[in-house]
Amino acid sequence: MPDINEKVAQLENFIMKKCLWQFHSRAWDRKRQNENILGMTAKLLCGEEVDTSKPEDKCYWVDASYLAENYRERFDWFSTMSNDEIKELMQALRERIDFVTVDGSLNEELKDPRY
Amino acid sequence: MPYHEFDCSKCIPERKKHAVVKGPEDDLTKALPLGYLNTIPGSISERGCAYCGAKHVIGTPMKDVIHISHGPTGCTYDTWQTKRYISDNDNFQLKRTFATDVKEKHIVFGAEKLLKENIIEAFRAFPEIKRMTIYQTCATALIGDDIDAIAQEVMDEMPDVDIFVCNSPGFGGPSQSGGHHKINIAWINQKVGNVEPVITSDYVINYVGEYNIQGDQEIMLDFFRRMGIQVLSTFTGNGSYDELRSMHRAHLNVLECARSAEYICNELRVRYGIPRLDIDGFGFEPLASSLRKVGRFFGIEERAEKIIEEESARWKPELDWYKERLTGKKICLWPGGSKLWHWANVIHEEMGLDVVSVYTKFGHQGDMEKGIARCEVGALAIDDPNELEGLEAMYKLKPDIILTGKRPGEVAKKIRVPYLNAHAYHNGPYKGFEGWVRFARDIYNAIYSPIHQLSYLDISKDEIPDDGGFKTQRMYSDATLPEAVKTSSAMREYTGKYDIIAELRKREYPEFNKKQ
Ligand code: SF4
Repeated sequence: MPDINEKVAQLENFIMKKCLWQFHSRAWDRKRQNENILGMTAKLLCGEEVDTSKPEDKCYWVDASYLAENYRERFDWFSTMSNDEIKELMQALRERIDFVTVDGSLNEELKDPRY
Repeated sequence: MPYHEFDCSKCIPERKKHAVVKGPEDDLTKALPLGYLNTIPGSISERGCAYCGAKHVIGTPMKDVIHISHGPTGCTYDTWQTKRYISDNDNFQLKRTFATDVKEKHIVFGAEKLLKENIIEAFRAFPEIKRMTIYQTCATALIGDDIDAIAQEVMDEMPDVDIFVCNSPGFGGPSQSGGHHKINIAWINQKVGNVEPVITSDYVINYVGEYNIQGDQEIMLDFFRRMGIQVLSTFTGNGSYDELRSMHRAHLNVLECARSAEYICNELRVRYGIPRLDIDGFGFEPLASSLRKVGRFFGIEERAEKIIEEESARWKPELDWYKERLTGKKICLWPGGSKLWHWANVIHEEMGLDVVSVYTKFGHQGDMEKGIARCEVGALAIDDPNELEGLEAMYKLKPDIILTGKRPGEVAKKIRVPYLNAHAYHNGPYKGFEGWVRFARDIYNAIYSPIHQLSYLDISKDEIPDDGGFKTQRMYSDATLPEAVKTSSAMREYTGKYDIIAELRKREYPEFNKKQ
């Protein structure tokens, strides 16, 4: 059973190789994407309801549900985790993705105030 | 991720921060090449200008439009016909290009009169075309010609025509990317919201950042139509001017090339609340996921599943045939902007190719983030390389093939590295399930071309064998394959037709009743 750091690395690798939503063009875009998509993914992995009544939320949910499905399918250690553990893991993942794509990013365009 | 310094660029020290090698323990926060900066003097860039980015990449794939450049004929000529963005109206926009033919005397005395005469002449010559785009160039921007005023004058005099003005002269940005940005913003400011479309489906999208290279758009349109989705507009390949004026009525923007068209999606989200879904149309698994996501957004995922099942069953055995023969071959992904990240991972997973280098001519740092994240450890990532750096990289990395544009491609051929045209394709389309197999076939044909193998011999010094006879591609590609693979009946070579687009244009689609 991998430890939490190894798990975060595996989840991060999947996002980096298969997803595009984490690389929107500005810092605020990226934070918003990370918060909504990873937040919803965490809820879906814990079997909780998500609100998709607004088009914007439905779009986040599309990416989040893809992520949640693939995580369950590819990483069987998810099935042995409690909801609290999943939340803790997803929080760590969120911090890591925020760091790689925004806070620690070397992309100078992220700070551009306009699109 | 250490920066990589090319020997040939030691005399241009600023270049050092434009290349990195992806190391085993590295992430994007350790090093990232600089990007979207003015080319460094002394470095012979392979980029295009901002006018080219606006006109050639984004404007001219629109099909029912007279595209006219206000400037010398050279600007228009050099941005004409080198990308095969076909259209279903007999390629009107590809066959013809228009320019006002500005000369020195106009630079002195002004070219507005000339522009007006040309606009009217072009509309008279093609009376069935009622839409026009006009592109500013360096010369006419510098003399201050007021294209907007002239366009308005013509529209007042000819009420049945509509004209879009794109003010993106060549010097308006570090590369063609500056032009992508300008035309995106100009289009939404000037034209979106001007036309109210007829809505025929409960599921309505704009397909954005797709340029119908050899039919890519038509392949994707076919999938969307089979799902009962109305594609209100395509920005801009095979796209119609008036449809693109009604983009504000879509429920979802499906974005393919974020490099060239994320701007308009971002603005449509902010101004009209239309969400942006980034997708990959290349490769079986990414395409399947993309279709599923679009289907899921509208609650019609089962329609996507049906397509995925049918297409995979038909084409997967053919993809596998090529994968067996391409596995382990080294490839440089050297396209313009977005294909480095569209292809970096899936070409490795689904064709077995090892990506040893990615580069982008006009990409931004965001493109490098995506590309580096998706390629394997050890790859060399280069921003805006010059010709000597490209040569040095090829000598060092010894790729079996490079995917790039025609200028660096011809350089590669000279040192006997096969190349495929990443911008205009060889035997596309490359999107869709069948398209991905066609891409694999082109790569296979390039790597194992018997003629190319002969070119490795230097007749000025090498011994030329005269006892072996002519070797076929299969003799080269199957030489080291296990017998079970060679004779497997579960896999086969590509069996599709030469032209797969003509049939699509005649296809009839199922009716899905509209609920609302
Ligand atoms: S840089 Fe200026 S002159 Fe050269 S092709 Fe572009 S618009 Fe024309």
